[in-house]
Amino acid sequence: MASKITQHSTAEYFAKNLQQVGFSSPVKAVLTTLKESVDNSLDACEEAGILPELEVVVRRLGNGSAKNTELVEVIVDDNGPGIDADDLASVFGEYLSSSKFGRGRCSRGQQGIGISAATTWAQLTNAAGVKVTSKTKAMRKAVKAQIDVDIKANKGLVKNKETIDWDRPHGTRVQFCIDGRVQLNGDGGILTYLEGTTLVNPHLTLKYKLLDNEAVEVKRVSDAVPEVPPPTLPHPHTMKLGEFMTHAHLFGKVTLDNFLRKGFSRVADEAIKGFVQHGMPKSFLHKALTTVSEAEFKTAFQAIQSTELQNPSTRSVMIVGEEALSKSIQRLGEVDFFSVVARKPRICDFKPVAVEVAIARFIKKPNLSDEAEQIQLLRFANRVPLQFDKAACAITQAVESVNWRAYGLQQSKDSLPLGPYVFAISVVSPFIKFKNASKETIDASDELVEEIRRALMQAGQKLSRHIKREVRAADLERKLQHIEKFGPILVEALGKIVNAPKARVKRAEDGLAKLLGRDSRDAEKELAEAETQLEKVKAKQKGTSSDDGEGGGEEVAIEAASASDEAPIGADERRGQLEMEFKVEEPEEV
Amino acid sequence: MANPATLRKSDKDIPKIAQKICDDMLKDLEHAKRPILEAVKCSLDNSLYDSKVGYLTPGKKMVATELNVSSVQKMARTVFFLDILLNNIKTGAVNTKRELYYMAKGFVKSDPHYKPLDFDDQNESDAIIQFICDMLTVYREEMNCFANDRGGQTYSKQLVVTEHLPDGTRAEVDLGSLGTTPFQPKNKPQVFKLKSKGKIDFCLVIESEGTANTLVSNGFTKRHKCIMVGAQGVPSNGVRGWVRTIQDQLKIPCYFYGDLDAYTLQNIYRTLKAGSAASLIRNSEFSAPEVKFLGVLPEDVKKYDLHCYPVSEKNPADARSLKKARDVLQNDPFFQDKRNKKLADILNWLLKNKVRCEQQSIFSVNPKDPTMPEKIIVEKIKHGSFV
Repeated sequence: MASKITQHSTAEYFAKNLQQVGFSSPVKAVLTTLKESVDNSLDACEEAGILPELEVVVRRLGNGSAKNTELVEVIVDDNGPGIDADDLASVFGEYLSSSKFGRGRCSRGQQGIGISAATTWAQLTNAAGVKVTSKTKAMRKAVKAQIDVDIKANKGLVKNKETIDWDRPHGTRVQFCIDGRVQLNGDGGILTYLEGTTLVNPHLTLKYKLLDNEAVEVKRVSDAVPEVPPPTLPHPHTMKLGEFMTHAHLFGKVTLDNFLRKGFSRVADEAIKGFVQHGMPKSFLHKALTTVSEAEFKTAFQAIQSTELQNPSTRSVMIVGEEALSKSIQRLGEVDFFSVVARKPRICDFKPVAVEVAIARFIKKPNLSDEAEQIQLLRFANRVPLQFDKAACAITQAVESVNWRAYGLQQSKDSLPLGPYVFAISVVSPFIKFKNASKETIDASDELVEEIRRALMQAGQKLSRHIKREVRAADLERKLQHIEKFGPILVEALGKIVNAPKARVKRAEDGLAKLLGRDSRDAEKELAEAETQLEKVKAKQKGTSSDDGEGGGEEVAIEAASASDEAPIGADERRGQLEMEFKVEEPEEV
Repeated sequence: MANPATLRKSDKDIPKIAQKICDDMLKDLEHAKRPILEAVKCSLDNSLYDSKVGYLTPGKKMVATELNVSSVQKMARTVFFLDILLNNIKTGAVNTKRELYYMAKGFVKSDPHYKPLDFDDQNESDAIIQFICDMLTVYREEMNCFANDRGGQTYSKQLVVTEHLPDGTRAEVDLGSLGTTPFQPKNKPQVFKLKSKGKIDFCLVIESEGTANTLVSNGFTKRHKCIMVGAQGVPSNGVRGWVRTIQDQLKIPCYFYGDLDAYTLQNIYRTLKAGSAASLIRNSEFSAPEVKFLGVLPEDVKKYDLHCYPVSEKNPADARSLKKARDVLQNDPFFQDKRNKKLADILNWLLKNKVRCEQQSIFSVNPKDPTMPEKIIVEKIKHGSFV
């Protein structure tokens, strides 16, 4: 007997499959809830051109309803534009209700799943959805309500709605009480998430209080609200036939010619000519879209795919920028050295992508690995930290594929390098391909991995210049010690073999001291010259740049260090050559 | 009383030369001038080969080490070690390189101010000993330093070896009385006096010691008047000197039988026949220029339908060996010499066919007959099937 086929709502699907969107464990549940709330706040602020000020509170309220869980309260309070009272239900209680779905913009949120999933989680584990307080500029009083999800209907339900006085012109505050567990440090930790978020959002002021720890305030280092570039039209080569046809239905009665020109980027006269040359009958162009048959769509689509088109525009991609990143990275701890690379947006798999890399070595930073442990890798996609499933991510693969030993870091084959470093890598694109709906890993296509790899190598080169300079200084120190150690022994042994009188040995010792003293003085002089040159370049940069924060200065220092590298090379090379000659002897076979 | 046989006739007064070098260094230092130590450059790019001479000889290149902050450690270690070696010559004590490494450690231990000279491992002290030999252009053995005996296990029914010992007595070993137990030549084989009981037809050097032993066990030396030597891989100085002694004193033809691959040709056969680039100054005594390459030859592969292994560029070890074969054809004066064209042809054949064939593959021919490998080898010698 055939079973009965039933229909279910989107909300029902997600309520049963919350693990797919980041609620697969108590620890992840807390992090995902926080993440979705913060993402929404930051996106809203950016849309409205407001400099974001966020306040985050995470605390334990007691035991959770499920075994081995805690009842955790997550509060995110922002100064964003606020949400109209009428929209609250759909924003927090309805799946796939989003202002951003498929628009081709570099916003953090894309589909409108995350925050509704958080509400569902709260409702499922604590029998109450999210408590929201919100006020827009136009509202005299703020509205406060509890939003639940009507799972059967995929609709938001507003409960206990009231209006209250609020001490601010606009903003939103969300409060979730959920089952979960709080983890602060490590890859999946809340602190790691907040640090990452501050790093790639230099314009963010963030206050947070986590559990019983002291409240922390991280001030913004940039007063410019990032301008989110306008969305671009899709590129015809990024579509599949089905998508192409669905896209066509949105355009109604226009001709195919008109649809192609208006519905896509990079389609103009030249491209249309190309389509015809590649097998699209000319008569198609003047047909109304509504009359085009499926077979004709297919012919047209095939012609389009075989025509070479200009790459899509990279204008829709936004970047944080080297300067802002440089300043931002210093908010994480006391930095000893860093290098920052922001690559120009490129096309990978027909999608515009921008990659930015910051590598920093910290003098003081809590919970940072030491020399023998792997570096701390911070991954970002559209300025959102990615914290799980590291191994499969395009970013991790790119880091592992670089030979960091060439840049002076320790590394076992095909794994992350070692040392007290933080590698922050941000990939921004209006069309990032994630491996799953919870957005934890970026799909590793060859082109994307290669682009990230290039950025890493550029940063690695800057890093290596710095490390080499350090090694050189240590080398000089070692050589000076050599002189003191070996000089006297050499003379003594020579005297013994020749059976020389004491006076002769003394004369030879003096001669040796003169010789080697000359060497060490030369080497010290070279090093001192390099230091002065470095200082000069630093001073010069400070004089010319009015907007020179700490970060700018440090960046100059990196480049300057590399310039001053040139000075001691002559002498060292000479020594190197002699050493080389020493090593030409082949090892004896026996 | 007979004097013990020496390695070579040399009028070099090593202590005197060493003292002169040290005296010059000390003089330079007194005048605040940088002393320079010069040694023969022992590398392939300073190797010359003349088929009339028969082995690799050093060219004119020298390695000069001038005293500076980087080289002061090496110079101090060189002079320190020279003192130890000169003392050995004076007292007549002999040591291996390993023992010298520990002796150096002992001196360092006994006098704390030598501490900076301490060697972390034997490679470091070996390099210094080698440098001293290259600097004085003497054999390591002349500095009373000997390597461990390795390889060269010898079987024969006719050979008698006589050694004059330092105490004036004589030791005589009749190899025919040893059964299947091999005679092991020492690392100073030139001190032996060889004679034969009746005529010896040839000397056969086999790359694998195991295969040499098998052939002897199956009666090879009973049926043929010959000397059989197991090389045990790359021939040590002892093996090279030993085959040279056989070649010079008995004046019999010598053949080498080993794998058909680039490694055997370059590293084993070439080293046996013409010496190595690392020991340029001693190849004259430690190489056997008359040795012929008996096989495995490319023609044997075809004639006996021998099993070959493919050599692939994708396999890192194979790729290295192919690269080395190409390098050698371009840079090794031995393979570039006209007289050795046939050997170079074999390398080219290996590069072209990308296969290798092991010496034991002749055991696949008629496996029921245990004397088949012997028959093949003897047939090859008889019909002049060698290079």
